[in-house]
Amino acid sequence: MPSNGDRQTESGNESTSGIGRRAYIAGAGATGLVALAGCAGGGGGGGGGDGGTDSGMDDGTDSGMDDGTDSGDGGSAGDSGGTTTINIITWEEYAEMQENIESTLDGVELNITPSTSSTEMFAQWNSGQDEQFDIAVPNNNLVRRFMDADLVTPIDQDAVASFDSMYDKFQTFVDQQFTADGEAYGVPIRFGWYGYAYDTRTVPDHEPSYDILFEEDYVDADLDGEIIMYDEAAKAMPATALYLGFEEELQGSEMTFSTDQIDQMQQALVDQKPRLQGYIAADPTFIQEFQQGNFLVGQSGRNEVIQMRTEGADWVEYVVPREGAMAWYETAVVSAASDNQETAWEVVNEFLAPQNGAALAQAGFSPSTNPAVSEELTQEQNDLYGSIDPARLDGMIPFKDIASDVEEEYVSAWEEVKAA
Amino acid sequence: MAVGDPEETNRAAAVRLLSTRYGALGITTGPALLWIAALLLAPLTFMVVVSFLEVSPISYEIVYEPTLANYEGLFDSTPWWDTPFFTAIWLSYGIATVTTLLCLTLAFPLAYLLARRGGRTFKIIIFLVLLPFFTMYLVRAYSWVLMFGPGGVINSTLMSVGLTDGPIELFNYGVPAIVVGLTHAYFPYMLLTLYASLDGLDFSLIEAARDLGASRVDVVRDHVVPLTLPGIIGGSLFVFVPSVGAFITPRFLGQGKIQMIGMLIESRVVGTYSIGYASAASMFVLVSIIGAMIVAFRYVTIEDLGGG
Repeated sequence: MPSNGDRQTESGNESTSGIGRRAYIAGAGATGLVALAGCAGGGGGGGGGDGGTDSGMDDGTDSGMDDGTDSGDGGSAGDSGGTTTINIITWEEYAEMQENIESTLDGVELNITPSTSSTEMFAQWNSGQDEQFDIAVPNNNLVRRFMDADLVTPIDQDAVASFDSMYDKFQTFVDQQFTADGEAYGVPIRFGWYGYAYDTRTVPDHEPSYDILFEEDYVDADLDGEIIMYDEAAKAMPATALYLGFEEELQGSEMTFSTDQIDQMQQALVDQKPRLQGYIAADPTFIQEFQQGNFLVGQSGRNEVIQMRTEGADWVEYVVPREGAMAWYETAVVSAASDNQETAWEVVNEFLAPQNGAALAQAGFSPSTNPAVSEELTQEQNDLYGSIDPARLDGMIPFKDIASDVEEEYVSAWEEVKAA
Repeated sequence: MAVGDPEETNRAAAVRLLSTRYGALGITTGPALLWIAALLLAPLTFMVVVSFLEVSPISYEIVYEPTLANYEGLFDSTPWWDTPFFTAIWLSYGIATVTTLLCLTLAFPLAYLLARRGGRTFKIIIFLVLLPFFTMYLVRAYSWVLMFGPGGVINSTLMSVGLTDGPIELFNYGVPAIVVGLTHAYFPYMLLTLYASLDGLDFSLIEAARDLGASRVDVVRDHVVPLTLPGIIGGSLFVFVPSVGAFITPRFLGQGKIQMIGMLIESRVVGTYSIGYASAASMFVLVSIIGAMIVAFRYVTIEDLGGG
């Protein structure tokens, strides 16, 4: 007679060999379903229990403290200590304002998701994440796309009291670019432009031109393998267009290149590629590699160079090419799907406040669209980046989106360049 | 069993559950299966489905009408192999192949030494090999950014000691830098897999072969390699597969001039939300890798990969 232990062993053997695959899968599936049901039930229970304080954090619903209309998921906070979390996708320097904004706006917490691309912000929102974010801050070229996709809501003029404090130029930009049916949709926060920087220790003085990026003998210096371009079609392609003389196509509300022009831009970039050290997207990488001596000329924004000069790199020079430059201004928009629209616009209003604008300017070395910000900065900071007259944008071309009818060719051309 | 004692009752219930065939299987393998189903099979199924559907370029919504347009898009050029997709996929296969061979070449002698010697040497070397694993992958990849480049540590050192007048192109960013970065990242997988295989090798066979007149090369070619083939194939798979889809390392060390398939797919998703195209491209990679694995498993079994 087998012992007890023997019986267990036999049983174990049977269990391994005796169960059919279907029975096994069915059993595992049932277990999974039970577990899923358990998770769902538990989650629901948790949600019910937590209703008050977390409701804003979890799904963006307001606790009702702002206007009394957004009651959220049973939020019990009301005016007495409830927290509304505003979810923001934006450039990483905006985190510098977080602490001050949270202390200024009672009951508001900011949850900032850093991003390095306006295109990425749009892709995330248009693919359904507009419900997870209350605010995005894309560059001006992408705002129209947000509007056309019905992702954003008109400015709450009552909440954005600082709107009139902006330079007139940016209020005009809003009228021209971000207004539809009499309603404006975006608030410019800070601005700058794209030209190129070079190492004055090796590259001689010259008339600023995109020719230096594309033509071998433009200056008396060997620049083969010493040039950097932006690793983003939205920045590299317009510079190429200006080099090729396609300025007219950049003047409308969107870039209207023909297929033939896109082919020419593609070819120019492919021909340029052997002369490149590479393509760089992020500002810190650009700065680190420029300082490391990995290249001599780089397409760049003004802010990168100002940061380098602030840190002692007096050998770097920044110029605006004679063919023109693309001007950018980051523009805050609020999601049409947000349950906290009024609070979100209040946060946007804080982006323009002098103290916050100064913190942002110091972090990103770019000027605010609110001239009052300069009062919070030192004279040296103002000279470098704090008090830049937006009249300097007059000769520049505002960044804009590619026309939808050639977008596919435009994207393909850039991919061909990268693959070449 | 103490009837009425809740703790005892629960324990008894657990024992009863585990003693049944379905209960034991469900509890032991159920969580893992659930994990795989939710985080591997479900996304994979979604990817397969989306690759045969269109995505609206305006609203980004999936249009539920079957289409082969995404797959046609991969070949949309004249000649068809000149598309960015095929350029990227060939480059990825090439880089992954070189990385695999380099890992194999570097790891095999070391694994052989570890299997023969063992003891303290084994512990020290294994510790050194695994040491970089205590840092984040991102940090390890970024460290190579500082090493390479015209003004990187390697070129600067060579120039400062007078070995070269200017930067050496080999140590610039590009394919060589990516291969080095990937080799560094995946070397331990190859080493440990080879070691597991070599550790089960009967070295008396090698001594016998040598006694009977076989040269060292003959021994390696006719005995060591055939007997450790499962380890070689297993280690190669562990290096080749992630290398093909590598993203961070080529992004850092390619300086934007090198576009491997993972980067192309990412740019399509992030830039234009072309998840249909991206899914079709991913499917192509997936199917080709599964094909390679099927071929590999003609020579080894899953059990072999663990050594033995």
